Amino acid sequence: MSFEAKPVVYGASIGEVTIGTGDLSLTIGGANISPLCFFEAPQKHPPAIGIEVSDLPFDTQGLPLLAALYEGCSDMAERVARAASVKGASFVCLRFESADPGGLNRSVADCVADAVKAAAASPLPIVIIGCKNSEKDTALFTAMAEALQGKNYLFLSAREEDYKAISAGVAMAYGHNVGAESSVDINLAKQLSVLMTQLGVRRDLIVLNPGSAAAGYGYEYVASTMDRIRAAALEQNDTMLQMPVITPVSTETWAVKESIISGDEMPEWGEREPRAIQMEIVTASACLASGSDAVIVRHPVSVEKLAALIAALL
Amino acid sequence: MAKFITIGERIHCISPAIRDAMNNRDPEPILQRAKEQIDSGATYLDVNIGPAESTGIELMKWAVRLIQDNFNNHPLCLDTSNKKAIEAGLSVYNPIRGKAIINSADAGDRLDNIDLAAANGAICIALCSKSGVPSDNDERMACCQEMLEHGMELGMEPEDLWFDPLFLVIKGMQDKQLEVLEFIKMCSDMGFNTTGGLSNVSNGMPKNVRPIIDSAMVSMAMMNGLTSAIVNPCDRRLMETIKSCDIIRGETLYADSYLEI
Repeated sequence: MSFEAKPVVYGASIGEVTIGTGDLSLTIGGANISPLCFFEAPQKHPPAIGIEVSDLPFDTQGLPLLAALYEGCSDMAERVARAASVKGASFVCLRFESADPGGLNRSVADCVADAVKAAAASPLPIVIIGCKNSEKDTALFTAMAEALQGKNYLFLSAREEDYKAISAGVAMAYGHNVGAESSVDINLAKQLSVLMTQLGVRRDLIVLNPGSAAAGYGYEYVASTMDRIRAAALEQNDTMLQMPVITPVSTETWAVKESIISGDEMPEWGEREPRAIQMEIVTASACLASGSDAVIVRHPVSVEKLAALIAALL
Repeated sequence: MAKFITIGERIHCISPAIRDAMNNRDPEPILQRAKEQIDSGATYLDVNIGPAESTGIELMKWAVRLIQDNFNNHPLCLDTSNKKAIEAGLSVYNPIRGKAIINSADAGDRLDNIDLAAANGAICIALCSKSGVPSDNDERMACCQEMLEHGMELGMEPEDLWFDPLFLVIKGMQDKQLEVLEFIKMCSDMGFNTTGGLSNVSNGMPKNVRPIIDSAMVSMAMMNGLTSAIVNPCDRRLMETIKSCDIIRGETLYADSYLEI
């Protein structure tokens, strides 16, 4: 008997979320197949790759390729223009590390000014990440949402402790998209989505950010959480989990020793740059295989390789 | 298996308010009961017009259109012994949010309601009895097989026959309860869908006791694989029990607000 392939296409599908407006927009989501199984059925929106730009210059020691990309740039806006030129990047992610009250603690007004300037310099849609301090992020996001109203950007993220203020100030007041962040907790992922929709946030403005970890740092929990989110969404038609998933990868992988330690310190590990790129690609491709509709990475080589991976599978 | 399916039983001509509304084609009482059941989470609404021998055709069409037009084509379960009325109801039914359910066929005189389901792409509730209460599970299973074969000969998918074990009243038939549960398990082991008039079990009991018994029965039946039941969705204890059982069965993912969705 000959083998007859039966496509596994689900009756349910992931919702679509559009970041940006008009020609400058990117739609993510819409999947009705298992992650990356493009042979099952054609998909309107393959996963998107975003490139991270911080408002502080990156540490580029031992990273000649990353240094070359941003050589001569004096501010975030200039770096954004460079980042957007990287082949395979579909959106730019602005990260406001300098806002951290435990660090430089730059004012909301200064960060907003940077965001407006950087957004103007970008030919790609924008995703905004704060400084991970709940209070500061709330102030930052609501001020930026107002300054950038009408742009339809995505803000990462609202968490259990601040979802009310961020949902209201970003999505409900100015129509931007908002991420629902649950740190690798599937029940919280659903709960946050329930709470945000009950509050009145339109479902097509919510993107799930179920959290991540660098490969080797508890990533198996991430994989199992994401697999179950996608299974609930597609197999059980759970509408509270049918939002697209975005995973900021760079914020995790560039914080682990494999990406930080120089080749001089650990000669047996080889040079820093290829190692850091590998960490990023390995983690991001695992996220894509578990259902991320968008991943955010830092290194231009990671962007290119991940985009090539998706293109090869399409 | 999938999430438990509730069929709301409160649009029933045995209720004087509904009977009058049906006789006078007065939409309000019916819409009100439809709304409260949908708000309480009923997946399907049963529309019982009684035998309605002379007026059934027009009445069923009117009721189906009325409810579906007002509630975004909410899925319905057409409940009458008048076959022409079911056919008429199906002719105006919109299946976009779920196939219609025919309530019901049995292995006796009403076997041909399965034909009606097969011809119209509907689901059919299949009472595992020829007439009256089956004496034991052998008889239930014989009826089940007979109806299954009949449906499959007509090209139906087995999943579109929802076998009804006949829930029996505890006051008077207490000794039969475990047998009913056992039959549900037999059906479940064979991969069949099951449903039934759950509140039969608490018939004749004091009002404050009924939700408790119904909830206990539904959880034991769900443990044995029951996939659906005809219930009063406005019974909050019962609906909370069903949602909780679905969490424990893993049919839906837990979230702290699970009772609100």
